[in-house]
Amino acid sequence: MKQLKYLLAGCLLLSATLVSAASLQLQLQPDPANPAHPTMGDWMHFDSVITNSGQQPIEGLVAWISLVEVTPGKEQPMDLEDWSAHKAVTGTTLQPGATLNTQWPMRLIQNGDYRVVISTTDRNNKTVFTSPTLQFHVTQKPVVESTRILPVALGIPLLIGGLFGVQKFRHQHKVS
Amino acid sequence: MNASSLIAKKERSALLQNQRGLAWLLAYAGILSAFALLLISNQELSLLDNAQVVYMMAGTVTAAGALIAVIMGSDAYAGERERGTLVPLLTAPISTNELLMGKAIGLAGAWGIMYLLALPYLWAVGAGGQNLGQAIFYLGLFGTPVVLGFGYLAMALSARSGSVMSSLLTSLIVLLFSASPLLLGPGLRNSAVGRALDAINPFSGALNTYDAVIIDSDPFMSQLGRLVLVLLWLGIMFGVARLSARRPAIR
Repeated sequence: MKQLKYLLAGCLLLSATLVSAASLQLQLQPDPANPAHPTMGDWMHFDSVITNSGQQPIEGLVAWISLVEVTPGKEQPMDLEDWSAHKAVTGTTLQPGATLNTQWPMRLIQNGDYRVVISTTDRNNKTVFTSPTLQFHVTQKPVVESTRILPVALGIPLLIGGLFGVQKFRHQHKVS
Repeated sequence: MNASSLIAKKERSALLQNQRGLAWLLAYAGILSAFALLLISNQELSLLDNAQVVYMMAGTVTAAGALIAVIMGSDAYAGERERGTLVPLLTAPISTNELLMGKAIGLAGAWGIMYLLALPYLWAVGAGGQNLGQAIFYLGLFGTPVVLGFGYLAMALSARSGSVMSSLLTSLIVLLFSASPLLLGPGLRNSAVGRALDAINPFSGALNTYDAVIIDSDPFMSQLGRLVLVLLWLGIMFGVARLSARRPAIR
C-alpha cells in the first residue's frame, strides 16, 4: 500500500513536470536583415518568439540570451558585456496562448564560431526552457592597427622628450 | 627683417628650442598618444569605423591645439610681465601693433608645428580608411581659425589681466564650455538649446564639419556657413586682442 502511494506521488510529480515543461515554447530565428557573411563590428539581430502553450498564465517571466564560442580549441561561454546591452527581458506576464516577440541585437566583437540561445524561466516554475540554438561565424576584420599606431604614439613623445633632455643638458652645461 | 617677424620667429622657435615650449609640445603629443593608445587597447573602440576614428582624432587635435594656444596666449603678455621683460619690450622701438602681430604670427607658427605633428597620428589611425585626405584638409581649414581664435582670446585677456594664472583660467573656462560638444556627441545636442549653441559655437562648427565631411562625405559647399562662423570667430578674437594690446597692463 505504501509502495502504491509512492508510485502515485511519483506519477503525479512526473505529470506535473510534463505539463509544466510543455507550457512554454520558444522559437529563435536570425533576423532576415542580418549580413550574410558577418564580420567583426557588424550588428546582428535575433528574433525570438516565446509562446505560453499551457492553460495557466505565466507570471514573472524572465528570458535571457546566452552566447557560446565554439571555435575549435576555444570553446567557452562568452561574457556579453561588449556584445549586447539588451541581455534580458524581465517581469513579463504571459496569458495562455499569448506570445512574446523579442528582438535581440548583438554587436560582433570577436571573430570565431558562435552559438546563441534564448532561455526562459518564470517565478513559479523551476524549469528552464531553452530555444533551439543558432550558429554563426564571424570573420576577422582589419581594425585600428596597432602596428601603425604604436610607433607613432610612442615614438613622437619619445622624440620630443629626447629634445627636452638635450635642451636641459645644454642649459645646465651653459649655466655651469 | 622687421620687428614683427623677429618676435614671431622668437615665439615660434620657443616651442621647439625652449624647455617650457617643449614641455607644452610634449603634453600635446601625450594627449594624442593617449587617445591613439586607447583606440587599440579597448576592443570595442578598436572596432570603430576608420572614418569615425579619424573624426575623433581631428576633434582631439583641435581641442589639444586650442589648449596649447590658450597657454601660449596667456603667456604672451602676462608672462612677459611676470618675467620682467614687458616694459623693455614696450620701450623698444616697436609699436604695440607690431608687438601683437609678432605674437599672433608666432602663435600661428606654433599651431603649424602642432598641425604637422598631428599628421602622423591621423595617418596611424586612419590609413586604409575613407576620407583621410579630407580630414587633413578640413583640420587645416577649420581647425586653424578655431585654435588661433582661442589663442587670441587668451592673448587679449593676458594683455589686460594681472597674471598668467587669471587669464589662463578664464580662457580655459571658455575653452571647456566651447569644447563640450566633443564630450556630448551630436545625439545629446539634438535639442533647441543644443542646436542654438551649435549655431554660434565655433568649436561645434568645426566638429560638425569634421563629422559631415569625414564620416558623411558631404561636399565643401555645404560647409560654407560653418566656415563663415569659424572665420568670424577668428576675426573677432583678433580684433579683441588688438584692442586689448593697445594698452597692455604693465603691473
